[in-house]
Amino acid sequence: MNNPYEVLGVSPNASDEEVKKAYRELAKKYHPDNYTNSPLADVAEEKMKEVNEAYDQINNMRQKGKGTGSQSTGGYSSYNAQNSKFYSVRIYIQRNMINEAENILNSTPQNERDAEWHFLMGMCAYRRGFNEQANTYFNTACNMDPNNAEYRTAVNNMNTQRAYNYGGYTTNPNTNSTACSVCDICSAIMCADCLCSCCRSC
Amino acid sequence: MFGYLQIFKDELKIKEYEAYKSVYCGLCRQLGKDYGFMTRLILSYDCTFYTILLMSLKRSCTGFSDGRCKFNPLKKCKFAACKDDAYSKASALSVISAYYKVIDDIDDSGFFKRTALKIIKPFFSRRQRKAAKCFPDIENIVREMMKNQKAAENNEYVTVDKAAEPTAGMLSGLAALEGGSDSQRRVLSEFGYQIGRWVYLIDAADDYEKDIKSGNFNPFIMSGINDQDYIGSVLSQSLARAYDAYNLLDIIDFKAILDNFMLYGLPNKQNAVLNKRQEVKNEQSV
Repeated sequence: MNNPYEVLGVSPNASDEEVKKAYRELAKKYHPDNYTNSPLADVAEEKMKEVNEAYDQINNMRQKGKGTGSQSTGGYSSYNAQNSKFYSVRIYIQRNMINEAENILNSTPQNERDAEWHFLMGMCAYRRGFNEQANTYFNTACNMDPNNAEYRTAVNNMNTQRAYNYGGYTTNPNTNSTACSVCDICSAIMCADCLCSCCRSC
Repeated sequence: MFGYLQIFKDELKIKEYEAYKSVYCGLCRQLGKDYGFMTRLILSYDCTFYTILLMSLKRSCTGFSDGRCKFNPLKKCKFAACKDDAYSKASALSVISAYYKVIDDIDDSGFFKRTALKIIKPFFSRRQRKAAKCFPDIENIVREMMKNQKAAENNEYVTVDKAAEPTAGMLSGLAALEGGSDSQRRVLSEFGYQIGRWVYLIDAADDYEKDIKSGNFNPFIMSGINDQDYIGSVLSQSLARAYDAYNLLDIIDFKAILDNFMLYGLPNKQNAVLNKRQEVKNEQSV
């Protein structure tokens, strides 16, 4: 395994506080919520695992005995709808075999094209980078079955991306493009705090 | 590519800005060295971005040296030294894309411009052949993109996604060439795809009014999209996805500069283009 200090990007002489801060930053960066439905979700998950292990290792070495408590971040990328009739499509998508997944979907008769079908078509488009098409399919899926959390999450994720606001950037021509209100800072800190508590037990 | 991949200078430290400039100057010098003095004129911000990305991924920048600008001998400048072929690759990409741009413009222009382009074409084709010989992968990817772009533009049912695909695919392919491992290739491929998509679509947004007048192909006009906020959200989503991929890249060298591209430079450019459109629209309605 790599040097845990390198993984966290801190020097071996860093204080506990610094290590903790670096860990929080990285955990926020690689958090699964940033990679909902992304073709890179597994890569992010891998990174998250590395960071968790590195943090645990440093804490063990420093004999504090307190780790992240999270042995695995598993579960989020595995689909729970194993009994779905599109199970094989989901497996293909998970393995990034988009052509195979689309073939099955395209051969589905019109009358069987339900909310899940639209959601999965959206997933295929999203994996290809076809954001517009994905957006249409996800919204259709969500309208057909408004109570489904999976579809709702996908739509919310799209909406968040479409309002990309990194660096305090705003599309409103009347405000200074670098302006960042006190409110933004507060809400950002609150969000960051929520994220941290998601993946850490302490 | 079209010159949209720029930094936002106000948010860089002076030393970071100097480093950025020294890569820009280094690339200019390499273009002169590999393809002759006049080729320096095709130096672009986009290829500078590409160079910085390559140098950062391969960690190949070894330091900075002092020199003078060939165009303005009174101006001193710094050059970033590089131990691998990042500069040569970026020069080849500049030359190859300039060549295909000329070919493409010959097809699209009116009589006078076409004649002028035909006269300068041999200048580019000679250099393009040399570049293609050194970096056949790059040549293949760019040629493929031109072919697909033509096909997409001639398809009357083309969507925004499909129209952007050739450029997106080109950057995806170019970036993926640099991946050291399978997962890094996938990350770079997604990163390149969304950046390419953004570049293509912001160019389309920028040329919107012009294309309406001239009747040239434009994916937004084709799909009947004219809503400012909607175009903004399409562009933002590509940046958001590119940024998520970027975060998985483990950037160490030139991190501040690349962060600046992602967090300030590109969003700022997007703002500028959309605000300019908004102003044009307001004028029209008055």
